[in-house]
Amino acid sequence: MTIRTDALPTQEMTINMGPQHPSTHGVLRVILTTDGEVVTRAVPDMGYLHRGLEKIGERVTYAQYMPFTDRLDYLAAMNCNCAWAWTVEKLAKIEVPARAEYLRVIVCELNRISSHLIAFGSYTADMGAFTPFLYAIRERERVNDLFEMLCGNRLTYNYARVGGVSGDAPPGFLEKTKEFLDYFEPKLDEYNNLISYNKIFVHRLANVAVIPAEEAVAYGLTGPNLRGSGVPFDLRKDEPYSVYPKFDFKVCVGTGERGTLGDCFDRYMVRINEMRESVKIVRQAVAQIPDGPVRAKVPRLFKPPVGEAYFRSECPRGETGIYLISDGTVNPLRLKIRTGSFVTMNIFEKVTRGLMIADVVAVIGSFDIILPEIDR
Amino acid sequence: MEALAISLVNAVPLLAGVPLWTVTLLLMVAVAAVILVFALTFEGVGSLVLRKVAGDIQARIGPNRVGPNGMLQFLADGVKLVLKEDIIPANADRLLFKLAPYFVFVGSFAAFVVVPFGVGLIAADLNIGIYYVMAVTSLVVIGVLLAGWASNNKWALLGGMRAAAQIVSYEIPVGMALIPAVLIAGSLSLQDIVRSQGGLLGIFGWNLFHNPFTFFSFFLYFTAAQAETNQTPFDLPEAESELVSGYNVEYSGIRFGLFFLAEFGDMFIVAALATACFLGGWNVPFFHVGTLPWIWGNLLSLGVFLTKAFAMVLIMMWVRWTLPRLRVDQLMRMSWKYLVPLTFVNLLGVSLWLLVFRGKGIPGMIASLFG
Amino acid sequence: MGLKAYLNDIVEAVVTTAKGMRITARYGVDPKEEVTLQYPEERWEIPKGYRGFLHNDIKTCTACNMCVKVCPIDCISLESVRGADKKMVLCSYDINIGRCMYCGLCVEVCPVNSLLHTSGYEMASVALGELILHFIAAEDAPEIKARVARQVAEAAVKAAAQAAAKAAEVPSSGTAEAAKVAEAAKAEAAKAPVVEPKAAMEEAPQAPVSEPTVAKEGEKKE
Ligand code: SF4
Ligand code: SF4
Repeated sequence: MTIRTDALPTQEMTINMGPQHPSTHGVLRVILTTDGEVVTRAVPDMGYLHRGLEKIGERVTYAQYMPFTDRLDYLAAMNCNCAWAWTVEKLAKIEVPARAEYLRVIVCELNRISSHLIAFGSYTADMGAFTPFLYAIRERERVNDLFEMLCGNRLTYNYARVGGVSGDAPPGFLEKTKEFLDYFEPKLDEYNNLISYNKIFVHRLANVAVIPAEEAVAYGLTGPNLRGSGVPFDLRKDEPYSVYPKFDFKVCVGTGERGTLGDCFDRYMVRINEMRESVKIVRQAVAQIPDGPVRAKVPRLFKPPVGEAYFRSECPRGETGIYLISDGTVNPLRLKIRTGSFVTMNIFEKVTRGLMIADVVAVIGSFDIILPEIDR
Repeated sequence: MEALAISLVNAVPLLAGVPLWTVTLLLMVAVAAVILVFALTFEGVGSLVLRKVAGDIQARIGPNRVGPNGMLQFLADGVKLVLKEDIIPANADRLLFKLAPYFVFVGSFAAFVVVPFGVGLIAADLNIGIYYVMAVTSLVVIGVLLAGWASNNKWALLGGMRAAAQIVSYEIPVGMALIPAVLIAGSLSLQDIVRSQGGLLGIFGWNLFHNPFTFFSFFLYFTAAQAETNQTPFDLPEAESELVSGYNVEYSGIRFGLFFLAEFGDMFIVAALATACFLGGWNVPFFHVGTLPWIWGNLLSLGVFLTKAFAMVLIMMWVRWTLPRLRVDQLMRMSWKYLVPLTFVNLLGVSLWLLVFRGKGIPGMIASLFG
Repeated sequence: MGLKAYLNDIVEAVVTTAKGMRITARYGVDPKEEVTLQYPEERWEIPKGYRGFLHNDIKTCTACNMCVKVCPIDCISLESVRGADKKMVLCSYDINIGRCMYCGLCVEVCPVNSLLHTSGYEMASVALGELILHFIAAEDAPEIKARVARQVAEAAVKAAAQAAAKAAEVPSSGTAEAAKVAEAAKAEAAKAPVVEPKAAMEEAPQAPVSEPTVAKEGEKKE
């Protein structure tokens, strides 16, 4: 909503929000020009976390780059791992065993849940309710336990490999996964009762930073931010990869149930609903998973043929596209990564104009940006 | 105070030679010290309880390392705050920066003077009790505003401005919501208000159950008062996730400690006022404390009062750990569009009720029905 | 806003708040819901395959250099020399654990499973140097090198002696071919130690060829 400022002109003030600020989700710096509490301009200043991930990719081998994809989006490392593996496999036309693909889908969806949990939790914390954040962390811990069991690490998993995954699921993993799903599903209703439909929360989110569908498409938004505007575009459905076509799930879109279509509340709600869909996918995958090897034979000194490949997959923060050119040596010639968060920042300045300072926080939270993805 | 001094002089022959004003002054200092000790203890324990409650609600444990079960955590915190370096930003307005915490602390502490702890336990039974509390707690806003301004920090300034706007707007509904109790008692003195809720009706003698309007009054007061104490959902001046820490962002050491203490002091004052005005204060249900010997009567009533007040504080903490925060404009809208009109309607309702039923409440009428 | 909407707003606010407070209250009073693990007194069960600190069992390590090559951030360094039996002998193996990101690529690639993850995850130090794990103490390196060089030299001497003995045998038999064989044997004995350091250098460029070895081999050459 906009507030009239012409009636009582005051001097504008420039405030630096970040790079050390509790609600910018990392080292994002937003240069706010405010008129009292009303933001007249908010310019994001990025690059504080730049590590040259794309350049590193040209120096290391295809297999060695895998741990770096963990750092691309550390809250959804599994998705980034798999995105890299899928790209290289597309480039080198490697056939991946079915079990490996199922395991990848399971971990990707579990990671989507844990990533959306952080999005949900930190969003509520931004809005001043600290309790749901800790509930979300508690559930996420369980996902981390599962991953730890599977690959030995809790945050930077480095699980996928070119041609499969690093190891088969240990005995008991699939049962534990099912147990987690049973535990987790009712929690979503609890979150909804606790905070999602809370009057104050709804008021903070509804009608704030509305992005109409055409605008969302024009600015290249992807993932939940695009679906929040009511565009039912999901790569898992529209450009199916891996074994996704075998599963029955729904693409969640914003409905404008509490305000206008495409506002912060819609984006928030899309994430909550997506967690439910992910639970559904994991359930099906666990039920269908075939036996067999989990890793195709890939030569140790892996050299893909000369050529290029672009592969995009649906990560929790939007579409992650990896463009890869190979010159036939062990290192990629060029690597370019397109991430959801970075593209989302384009529209930031536009939607924050005329909002309050507290709304800027709400907008950042509703975009669910993550800085390593923006700066790479 | 003077009356007490006279009785003391009469009781203790040794004091006969001392001028009366000296005795009065000494007594004042002694009482102030007692209240200060109580306030500090409450604030310390309050911070511990707040964190424990937060822990429980958030499925974790909370502080449990210092002392048995973490009981001494507040002492450790206090020692830490006192020993920390007191940093004043280079470009701050030094005098105002130093002064601000005292305003805030004095504002909240001075209100303790009129809190009716027991049947005879009140530092000063002012005949303008409620009025005094409202006036004195307004001092807090000056302190907060000064802190925000003097820090020379934009976030702090925003926090200070928010605090000023918030406290000024919410003072009205707070006052209006308390007036029904004043109307029923016919006095502004808190002791009188508490006494008016005594009698043999038990908990139904409380103003809370006096009539439907007072019932709503209580909730209106409670909501508005939360805003006055800067508790979530109204913690905008501090707004950790927006303004980093709001008006006290530049403060450290004991100056920060004073803000911190004042926050808990305010919390207690709100709880105490709610208890005194709506929940029967120190009245023990179905029992007249005045009939007991002085010492037992006071102890009993003190216990009852503190129990009720602490229960209110707990509820405030519970709310604090459940709700998200409002936005500035919503906060203002809530005050001016919802709380202020509602309290006025309520006040009108109570006045009409008292006029029509000649000051009798529903429980009173039912009681008289059955003889 | 009509009166109905106005009242609805209030009712909704109260109802949703009450709902939320019911949930927090349930957690507040239920002691079973506490999930905190009181580290360090309590610890979680570390699953098999946990990727903790690295440990190299130097007894089985074949100094094949695979782990060094695969590590994306170059935190392993090893130094080895060719032993008497043509196998590489490790003389130092360091992992900079402060830099390691526990990606596990090195463990995966180790052909003899000598490099493994342990379940360790706690380490504190006041100096960065302490974060470098030396699986062979730095003092031991020259000693190992000297020992290996001695062994190599001994083996070479032995081989030379054998060849010489053979050669000595041959003239008595009096054929020209035998003399040729002896010549070849001698040359081989002399050549073998000279070539090796070069090979070692190629495999591990960061491992400088140790002085004593070179000196001895130089002698040998002459
Ligand atoms: S775990 Fe990874 S980073 Fe660490 S030494 Fe092995 S390959 Fe290098
Ligand atoms: S890969 Fe294994 S055997 Fe080879 S050098 Fe490394 S630790 Fe030793």
